[in-house]
Amino acid sequence: MDAQILESNQIKHFKEFLGTYSKFIETCFLDCTTCSEHCLQKYLKMIQQISMRFQEYHIQQNEALGAKTGLLGQP
Amino acid sequence: MTSACHRKCVPPHYKEAELSKGESVCLDRCVSKYLDIHERMGKKLTELSMQDEELMKRVQQSAGPV
Repeated sequence: MDAQILESNQIKHFKEFLGTYSKFIETCFLDCTTCSEHCLQKYLKMIQQISMRFQEYHIQQNEALGAKTGLLGQP
Repeated sequence: MTSACHRKCVPPHYKEAELSKGESVCLDRCVSKYLDIHERMGKKLTELSMQDEELMKRVQQSAGPV
C-alpha cells in the first residue's frame, strides 16, 4: 500500500515537472530566436531559486508549528 | 507560483544566462508575497466557510423538526 502511495506521488511529481518543463520550453520558443540557450539556463536557475525559497518557507512554518505544539503539549 | 513570478520578474530579454541581482531579489520577494497571500486567503476561506456552516446550522435549527 505504501509502495503504491509512493509511486503515485512520484507520478504526480513527474507530471508536474513535465508541465513546468513544457511551459518554459513554450515561453523560450515564443520569446527567443537565437537566445534559447540563455533562456533555458535562466529558467533553470530561476526554478532552483524559487524551490529553495519555497523549501525555506516550509521549514520555517514547520518549526513554528513544532514550537507551538511543543508549548501546548506541556502541562 | 513559478509562472506568476516568472511573468512578473523576468523580462523576456535573455541577453545573459545568469539571473541578474534585481531579478533574483524580485523572485525572492515574489515567492514571499505569494506564499503570504496564499496563507491569508486560505485562512479567510476557512473563516467564511465556517460562517456559512454556522448559518446553515441556525437555519436548520430554527426550521425545527419536520
